[in-house]
Amino acid sequence: MHLTFVSSPIYVKPIDKVLILNCLAKIYSPKQRINTLKKGYKLISKILNYLVNIANKFSFMSFIDRDPGEGIATQQINKNYQSGQIIQANATGFGAASDDFMERGIDLNEQLIRNKPATFFFRVNSDAMLGAGIHIGDILIVDRSLPASSGKVVVAVLNGEFLVRRLQIQEHSISLVPENKRYGTIQVAQLEQYSTWGVVSFVIHSL
Amino acid sequence: MQAIVDCNSFYCSCERLFQPQLQNAPVVVLSNNDGCIVSRSDEAKQLGIAMAVPYFQAKELIEKNKVYAFSSNYHLYGDISWRVMETMRQLLPKGSVEVYSVDEAFLDLKHIPADQLQDFCTNLKNKIETWTGISVSIGVGPNKVLSKVANRLAKKNKIKTGCIVILNDTKKIQAALQQTPIEDIWGIGFSYSEKLKTYGLHTAYALSIKDLSWGKRFLGGVTGIRLLRELKGAQSHSMQAPRTEKKMIATTRMFGREVTDWQEIEEALATYATRAAEKLRRQHSAAGGISVFLLKKAPILIDASHYHRGRQASGYTVLDNPTQLSPDIIKAVVALGKSLFEPGEIYKKAGVILSDFVPDNALQTNLFVAPADAKRKKLMNVIDNMNAAYRNDILKFGTSGTQKNWKMRSERRSKRYTTRWQELCLVR
Repeated sequence: MHLTFVSSPIYVKPIDKVLILNCLAKIYSPKQRINTLKKGYKLISKILNYLVNIANKFSFMSFIDRDPGEGIATQQINKNYQSGQIIQANATGFGAASDDFMERGIDLNEQLIRNKPATFFFRVNSDAMLGAGIHIGDILIVDRSLPASSGKVVVAVLNGEFLVRRLQIQEHSISLVPENKRYGTIQVAQLEQYSTWGVVSFVIHSL
Repeated sequence: MQAIVDCNSFYCSCERLFQPQLQNAPVVVLSNNDGCIVSRSDEAKQLGIAMAVPYFQAKELIEKNKVYAFSSNYHLYGDISWRVMETMRQLLPKGSVEVYSVDEAFLDLKHIPADQLQDFCTNLKNKIETWTGISVSIGVGPNKVLSKVANRLAKKNKIKTGCIVILNDTKKIQAALQQTPIEDIWGIGFSYSEKLKTYGLHTAYALSIKDLSWGKRFLGGVTGIRLLRELKGAQSHSMQAPRTEKKMIATTRMFGREVTDWQEIEEALATYATRAAEKLRRQHSAAGGISVFLLKKAPILIDASHYHRGRQASGYTVLDNPTQLSPDIIKAVVALGKSLFEPGEIYKKAGVILSDFVPDNALQTNLFVAPADAKRKKLMNVIDNMNAAYRNDILKFGTSGTQKNWKMRSERRSKRYTTRWQELCLVR
């Protein structure tokens, strides 16, 4: 049996709350809004809580696990947004019609940090991965919860030193492949001196 | 069942996370002001470096064996601690993680069937290690006291137990208690263990077969009964909700060097007062009472067999109106400090303690609060927000000074890899 555990739904909740509030805001007139928002949210949060409980009941079983591939789309967003954070036009004359369509602004953290406790930042200090678009001075976003499979760009530890390279796993060997002709591929000879620190999920590069 | 998850050599593990060359090297971390050794890696333990010994006493051993010694990097440890706790919170139902200290948490595992405990713990341990890079030991038992007993055994034989010990039947519990010296029971301090040894009780097992009335007489009443009950396998400590509101806030530090000048003490007190007031506002309280203490340097005794504490001068004042405004608190603290200060004395440490809290919304709704106070509260809000955004106390009060010669020593602190853009780890 294979089940995909859609990460912790508890963390999906705050964003759902904002979505729900926004949807309801579009349907009702401002006068009705406040009451209906409260009622509507209560009902929906009840349903959500019910789903959370079901998911939690299953989560201890070891066969249900975060599916690494699927997980990306559904992983939790760790920020707690409040309905008050939805900006409004605050017009003094005729009420701005767009108020009914306001929603929370785009937050980069949502996109770049998929699993906050496992996400770390590094600064690049070499041009070994130039071909992969990683320049000197760039910031690497490293997610330790992503599986280090062959072909991924990783932060690796070799002989006590941090390296960013493309990981290549063959049957009996591991190699670290640069994307710059001036650098050579590193064959990892002794596994005890090697470990994969984390998988690079994004690069922040200033133009 | 309850479990305790405890990070292995937590501070050292945090240092190693961003300095992989330390992986198999002996590492120690020093307390505030580089005073004592507060964390040791397994390699350092094997060299015979004891816990909590003053740094200068172990210095020879440290230098001879090329032990890496670090000053406490609380920015880093705090962030990594949050990551470990957050990982557990994500993998467990809501409300079943009780953060007990920076590197320990109790877990409520009642939702897990007995035959799946081992798998669950292994999975949890691996997850924490993969996500955060910190290795943990897990002890599981019917209650908190026994889970602590289990955890101690897991840490003692890391290889044999795989850092996980589960005490799920009477036989295992009995064996575990027999291996636990009486002074290693959670909740039994040094003086109690000495007392119990005079009654001939040397292991936890010997204590656990005593009856409850005995515990009431010799183990300090209700707490003693609770402890005995847990040793016998019942559950008497429940999970606690986090203490979000403190009843008292203290900011105390050792000075980096000996201080004799009032000006410097004033700066230090004002800085501590600001820090304490910040914490006060964060929990939305206002303080009605303020105490200040100054610790003098201990006289050097020739036949001193152990550490002597210097004399301490302390004072307490009740404020007319409870307040959470930094200027008011600084004013009261400095006035109190001035009355305690004696010229010509050498000072080692100072502290500010705020107490007698009331909720701050009670102040707001008070009709008689002058509107000026509302304005000042807004100002505080702005200062707090700016300091949170830009760090390094970008806005501070004049009294806190700019030099800070008295500041804590932290010469060997590593970079703040996870909280500062300027100090990110480099990768080649």
